[in-house]
Amino acid sequence: MNKNTRIIAESLKKRNRSESTFRLMGLLGIISAISFLVIILTSIINEGKKAFVSTQIKLDIFFDSKILDPSNSGKITEIENANYQTLIKASLLNFFPDVKTRNDQRDLLSMISSSEQENLMRTLTNDISLMNTKKEFWLKSSSKYDVINKNPEMIDFAEEDRLISNQQLFWFNELKKDNRVNFGFNKIFFTAADSTEPEQAGIWGSVMGSFFTLFVTLLLSFPIAVAAGVFLEELAPKNRFTHFIEVNINNLAAVPSIIFGLLGLAIFLNVMHLPRSAPLVGGMVLALMTLPTIIIATRASLKAVPPSIREAAIGMGATKMQTVTHHVLPLSMPGISTGTIIGMSQALGESAPLLMIGMVAFIVDVPESFLDSSTVLPVQIYLWKSTAARGFVELTAAGVLVLLTFLILMNSFAIIIRKKFEKKW
Amino acid sequence: MGLGSFCVLIILIATFITWYGNNKALRVNHALGKDLKLPSLPKYYSFYAILWLIIPSIILILTWYIAKPLILDVLVLSFISEDTIKNFSGDPSMLVDRVKSINIERPFPGTDTNLIEAAVYLKKTLERVQTFTFLSILSLGCFLSFIAIKKINPAFRARQIVEKYNVAILLVCSVVAIVTTIGIVFSLIFEALRFFDKIPLFDFLFGLSWSPQMAIREDQVASQGSFGAIPIFAGTLLITIIAMTVAIPVGLTSAIFLSQYSSPMTRSIIKPLLEILAGVPTVVYGFFAAITVGPFLKGLGDVFSLNIASESALAAGSVMGIMIIPFISSLSDDVISAVPQSLKDGSYAMGATKSETVKKVILPAALPGIVGAILLAISRAVGETMIVVMAAGIAANLTANPLEAVTTVTVQIVTLLIGDQEFDSAKTLAAFALGITLFVVTLMLNLFALRIVHKYREKYE
Amino acid sequence: MVSKKKIKVLTKRVSVFYGDKQAIKDVNLEIYENQVTSLIGPSGCGKSTFLRCINRMNDTIDICRITGKVLIDNDDIYKATLDPVLLRARVGMVFQKPNPFPKSIFDNVAYGPQIHGLTNSKEELEDLVVNSLQKAGLFNEVKDRMNESGTSLSGGQQQRLCIARAIAVSPEIILMDEPCSALDPIATAVIEELIDELMQNYTIVIVTHSMQQAARVSQQTAYFHMGNLIEFGETSKIFQNPKNKQTQDYITGRIG
Repeated sequence: MNKNTRIIAESLKKRNRSESTFRLMGLLGIISAISFLVIILTSIINEGKKAFVSTQIKLDIFFDSKILDPSNSGKITEIENANYQTLIKASLLNFFPDVKTRNDQRDLLSMISSSEQENLMRTLTNDISLMNTKKEFWLKSSSKYDVINKNPEMIDFAEEDRLISNQQLFWFNELKKDNRVNFGFNKIFFTAADSTEPEQAGIWGSVMGSFFTLFVTLLLSFPIAVAAGVFLEELAPKNRFTHFIEVNINNLAAVPSIIFGLLGLAIFLNVMHLPRSAPLVGGMVLALMTLPTIIIATRASLKAVPPSIREAAIGMGATKMQTVTHHVLPLSMPGISTGTIIGMSQALGESAPLLMIGMVAFIVDVPESFLDSSTVLPVQIYLWKSTAARGFVELTAAGVLVLLTFLILMNSFAIIIRKKFEKKW
Repeated sequence: MGLGSFCVLIILIATFITWYGNNKALRVNHALGKDLKLPSLPKYYSFYAILWLIIPSIILILTWYIAKPLILDVLVLSFISEDTIKNFSGDPSMLVDRVKSINIERPFPGTDTNLIEAAVYLKKTLERVQTFTFLSILSLGCFLSFIAIKKINPAFRARQIVEKYNVAILLVCSVVAIVTTIGIVFSLIFEALRFFDKIPLFDFLFGLSWSPQMAIREDQVASQGSFGAIPIFAGTLLITIIAMTVAIPVGLTSAIFLSQYSSPMTRSIIKPLLEILAGVPTVVYGFFAAITVGPFLKGLGDVFSLNIASESALAAGSVMGIMIIPFISSLSDDVISAVPQSLKDGSYAMGATKSETVKKVILPAALPGIVGAILLAISRAVGETMIVVMAAGIAANLTANPLEAVTTVTVQIVTLLIGDQEFDSAKTLAAFALGITLFVVTLMLNLFALRIVHKYREKYE
Repeated sequence: MVSKKKIKVLTKRVSVFYGDKQAIKDVNLEIYENQVTSLIGPSGCGKSTFLRCINRMNDTIDICRITGKVLIDNDDIYKATLDPVLLRARVGMVFQKPNPFPKSIFDNVAYGPQIHGLTNSKEELEDLVVNSLQKAGLFNEVKDRMNESGTSLSGGQQQRLCIARAIAVSPEIILMDEPCSALDPIATAVIEELIDELMQNYTIVIVTHSMQQAARVSQQTAYFHMGNLIEFGETSKIFQNPKNKQTQDYITGRIG
């Protein structure tokens, strides 16, 4: 054993220790990154899953013709415009006969969501034979009771910190004892648009808004991006101009998204006078943002097609254009589609530029066209988060879950395409 | 006639021209006899004809939409009586705006009847003029494409010309990227210059106080607001620094572990997980920061009797850091993996351990790339909007204390522009001044970083 | 003369597998101290893989598995108690493509002594670097630009820098994996001369695809084919009078 080997052998222990410390640091990095993901997801799932069900209260409703149709005309229009709140009130008072004062009665009535009046009306007008009969209904509670019911720890809060008064809590517990309270599937969440009342607000309006917006985005960005990618990769001469285009594209991919919003505001809205809050404009802005992503993906998958295929086609006498459209482009389509889906899922999650062009409005109707005022999923989440009422917290989290579900679906689709059509040359 | 029906019509016409052009070319071929043929396939002749339909139409339609506001002004001003114009206190162009904004079915009570009449007239005339324009454009297109079909003869090489045009169309598509950049620069510069007309550039860049609240009504001449952006820049810087303090160590160590230490198995599990982290929309991070992290830090502060704002820079910054972790880790992973195996072999063959190889050979070799990645990440943090909008403050505090609430450039842009604003006020224009500052800073970071990364790649390819 | 030859490295039934594929089959070979042994054979015959067994460089490849024994000074280098770090300090390696680190010339040579902590002072380290560069015959060419990047040198100089880097930790054995394949004929000649000098102090194993080079620099030659060691013996005998038909076919250029 020579001198060097001895020195090395002596230092080995220390070196191996620093080796394992280093390794541990790397491991810690990974573990913390993954645990952040786990924490974010669990906290959101925990909160969000509550919004998929809502508290219901069982009441016996008597369709009293004296209230609904006092003139006994039998006209549907009359019945439609009647005061159904009185029916609910009557049923509640039937259960709590002691409630006498006006204020107390109002407090009691606030237990049931006001949206149920319309539901009762619809049930009756669909089946007019229910008139003057008694029927059992599971009515949606208003959001405050729903929140208390879902978060039992809030019952112990001091009265002023709780959302409902001691009296209201007492009534609610009485109904509970009588097995008149349970959870039902929150259908409104999946069918309605925004509302000022948490229990009446839904995600569907913004889902449709996102759909229209992304449709415009796809329609604009896909053809332009593929054309640009084909031009730059296959046809363009390598000169300063094309280099300038490339630098532009790479840079646009890194420009903050809010800048695109400012562009949309200044040009699409203020110069071109397109409508505010419209999916058309949102789609145009997102298309500009998505372009670089799809162009870069297109170029990468065109590059992956081996030159031998181009040579074979050109050797057969095809023109450059024919070579590209007949051979290279079809072969690179799986890669291009994957890139497009990824670009679309980025666009789906994007909200900052849409705030700039007014897609942040409070919209109670589900949009039906590209020009209707609408909002999109992530912006709806932002809007709900900014609303003070406690009931919106779980809605926000549920909105996040819906958004994440769409993203996971899109990305899995991209992965399937990649796996299925992937070619190793 | 709207743009929708115009598009439907033009598609129908195009289908017909394709069919007709194909037929014509086939007939010419037939007439030429056995030995002679047209030099290009029939489809190229019909394609050529369609080009003559579509390209002029697109150009003319665009011209129409550009000219439309001008025509509007002329129409409205010609209709409104002299008296109304005289009685109106402001600029006639504002009168035009007012007419345009009138809802004909439900006019605002008390609106000048002359103006309502003008609005009705405007709507009707505009519809007529537009229909007439669209129909003339279509007829012109049809005429041109039929001439093109007439031209079908053996001396005419349609394919060459069609391909030339196709390349030109593809070129135009790639120029969209340049047009977008120019659009960004112009829209920002134009509005920002209007801002700097009102507020001197120097005051904006070096002023220490930011309170953009302006007079609400015109007669309130009171406060002009102050537009010193230093507190905003400082807030942005503070949050970016916090984000980087979280993201760089975690991102880099994960990248090193993934590329050097993990087995292919672990790598194939962890990489997709990090990709999920990268794919989470920023609004979700913002929600997490505002609902979970902010209150948690505040509670933690109470335990140690520290006063932590619920919208503290720490909450927004650390969540932003989490968002950037996958960005740094995947970019550095690429960069580290690009270090040639021969260099690592050289180090191992000298008897270096893995960590020594990483620290003394791989990281120094990958340094330019990693620096590039970090610069890109910084640019991303500076431009990130939703997290700070949801979790950082709105008030512009000039502080270096991460436990207090600060505001950022993006937050201010959003707060200044959300809601209906008059587009001439300094408050609205200030958003564009901030916007151009943001654009210039991120542009420089990006260009510099992309250059570094590009050079780095070239070196090892 | 023959009796004086001392066995430095001895391999016993060494086989190497990449996954399911066997790259080396039961190779038994003796490598003598202070001699140059060359490994020749057609490409893909496993000669480089075999070379990398001697300093356990194959350990860095995940799917690679080795059976059999490799003894250096009668000591099994694959035994669990032996740290590859220690082994690689004793067995240096020079690669096919010159791979100087993107550091200064000085730092390149100082790398080994620094990580192993071989020197106690700056002066000692400087002496060691100068000494190694002199041994590698590079000192005169680079003495004025020790702080320039190692990658700024010419290919031949880079390869000599790598040799200097390897000998800075005073290894007993130097493995060379086709060290001249990326170099022009003049640079190759310089390296070959260097190998001749280094032989005095080190045991050298060189993989080469050039039979002429093997004939010029080595005393012993081993011929590999498809993972098998076909023939081993003194270089002059192998080239003038091969016993095996395959060896003869290769040497006469019939296969290759």
